[in-house]
Amino acid sequence: MQPDTSDAHAIVTCRGVSKIYAHGAVEVRAVDGLDLDVAAGDFAALSGPSGSGKTTLLNMIGGLDRPTSGTVTVDGEDLSGLSAAHLAELRLHKIGFVFQAYNLIPVLSALENIEFVLQLLGIDAKERHDRAAAALADVGLTGMEERRPSHLSGGQQQRVAVARALVARPAIVLADEPTANLDSKSADDLVSLMAELNARSGTTFLIGTHDARVIARARRHIEMIDGKITSDTTGDLADVVQ
Amino acid sequence: MAWRNLWRQPMRTALSLLTMALAAALLVFMLSFQLGVYDTMKSNALRIFDGFARLQPPGYADDPDIRRTITDPEALAAKAEQMKGVTAAAPRATSYVILSNGERSYGAAIVGVSPARERQVSTLASTVHEGRYLKPGDTDVVVLGDALARNLKLKLGDKVTLLGSALDGTIAVDSLRLVGLFHTGIGDLDRQVAEMPLRRFQQGFAMGNTANTIALVGPSLGAVNDALPRLDRLAKANKLTIEDWGGLQPGLKQAITLDFSTSMLWYVSLVVVVVFIILNTLLMSVLERTREFGMLMAIGMRASLVGRMLWLELILLALIGTVAGVVLGGGLALWYGHAGIAVGAFEGLMAQWGLPGRLYPSLSATSALVGPAVIVVSVAVAGLIPMRRIRRLDPVKAMRAA
Ligand SMILES: Nc1ncnc2c1ncn2[C@@H]1O[C@H](COP(=O)(O)OP(=O)(O)OP(=O)(O)O)[C@@H](O)[C@H]1O
Ligand SMILES: [Mg+2]
Repeated sequence: MQPDTSDAHAIVTCRGVSKIYAHGAVEVRAVDGLDLDVAAGDFAALSGPSGSGKTTLLNMIGGLDRPTSGTVTVDGEDLSGLSAAHLAELRLHKIGFVFQAYNLIPVLSALENIEFVLQLLGIDAKERHDRAAAALADVGLTGMEERRPSHLSGGQQQRVAVARALVARPAIVLADEPTANLDSKSADDLVSLMAELNARSGTTFLIGTHDARVIARARRHIEMIDGKITSDTTGDLADVVQ
Repeated sequence: MAWRNLWRQPMRTALSLLTMALAAALLVFMLSFQLGVYDTMKSNALRIFDGFARLQPPGYADDPDIRRTITDPEALAAKAEQMKGVTAAAPRATSYVILSNGERSYGAAIVGVSPARERQVSTLASTVHEGRYLKPGDTDVVVLGDALARNLKLKLGDKVTLLGSALDGTIAVDSLRLVGLFHTGIGDLDRQVAEMPLRRFQQGFAMGNTANTIALVGPSLGAVNDALPRLDRLAKANKLTIEDWGGLQPGLKQAITLDFSTSMLWYVSLVVVVVFIILNTLLMSVLERTREFGMLMAIGMRASLVGRMLWLELILLALIGTVAGVVLGGGLALWYGHAGIAVGAFEGLMAQWGLPGRLYPSLSATSALVGPAVIVVSVAVAGLIPMRRIRRLDPVKAMRAA
């Protein structure tokens, strides 16, 4: 079932990755000796029952968490050798995150939230503004620039988060349950948006999710149980872009 | 962003600001008041007799012997008066003598003064409540502290006999007419001091044209203190020394130092309490925002930068609070510095140095800035504690935090 692991365009490579948590005397293998490659341009859904290790895996790929054993490589860089500060740099430059909630800085407007990432990258004010405005336009939120997150709907907030994840042109966008807090219409719209952005810009997406709508739209579907990959299927491109 | 973060919890921020503003205002006002009172105390105590500084021969401070003299004191006084920060200089000769009226005798310090110069340096003349002070051209006259006159049972116009030891080893004897009584309110002066014309003193004590000391005043004690280095050079050039106010009134200096250290204790406690309140508030908001910090780190903000951002918020808060406090406390100090604060009877320390019934806070750069600066610096240093916590924050755990 495993795809060819020698793909030259792999953005993410996991080899024998395990994450073990100690719950008192009990060991929990949240991720258990897992191998995975994500190719450039993939639009992949990572599903599995609650507690199967999706979030843990995404966090390790994103350099937020370190594996107990095994190696994670992102865009050719082995994460195990990097310091906390280097990992922050890597996340800034190569990874876009979209979480289930609390994605945005509440005191900044939609536009400023996106600009914030560019500011961390040291980009000057003018370019920052233009790129952030363009990113907001890409997610269909032109006119909402000045709104604070609290004045945006849940779906709009997630769109801002997607725009922010994409604005630094990362190697991969990692989304963890991005639709979990949304009503079905907003969830549908968000998935369509991500699929469209993937098709348009070729940005790689890896989406941890329970949501059948997301899985249905994904070109590739990875299933996990108990920290292991149990199935990995790549569908037809035609199914994805409508 | 730091600015906007401050207003997420407007109530809490307002309370923090209020705490710091009130503490800063209190420090500014109390310090202004305290320094103002000290100034008044020093000024009052020194203006009555000692002056703000004194030129004297080496060794005179430990052993005020009449034989330690200054040659040509008038010329030196004129030179000192030319200096910036000095407005008047008065040469004096002093000796311990026995004053008698018939059977009654008392030991006293007799001071030979040039009346015109002396009036500019010492306010003693203005405390003469019976008769008159010395005037230029006077010869065989004397003014006495009223307690001394009472002890000697002397009335105005009475003759008083002076018995002392002259510079050349002979006995100095003189007979002087009492023309005035002064009451300074300072026991030592009123009980023990007599003043007579310098020229007559020099003749009686065979001093030629010399004196023992030159008392100096300026527009303020501070001005004279600033002039001390220049005065020191002048003194050295004439083989003399300069004594500052602390040397002239060591008791007062000690009392002020003691009083100030006691109040320092209060000020320090106040700052400590403020820092604890602010730190507590800060830790509360850090806990609340843990998730957000995790998110910021996830999108690539370094932990140290997150910490610095939070610290900046704190500094901003402290600056706003203390600036408001300086304005409030400084305003009050200025207002009362103008109007004065009426005070009742003085106790202890203050009564001793004859303070007036109204006290004036004096706002200065020191009183306005030291307290608030200490608050800002303490808060800034205390703020490093939560900052270190953030540096060690694990983004995954932070985002899981409820
Ligand atoms: N920080 C942690 N400390 C201890 N155990 C943890 C920690 N994080 C995750 N786990 C455990 O690891 C396992 C995998 O958790 P994970 O959050 O990765 O699952 P998930 O697939 O994302 O689940 P969900 O669908 O509920 O989000 C769970 O058993 C969880 O209890
Ligand atoms: Mg999860």
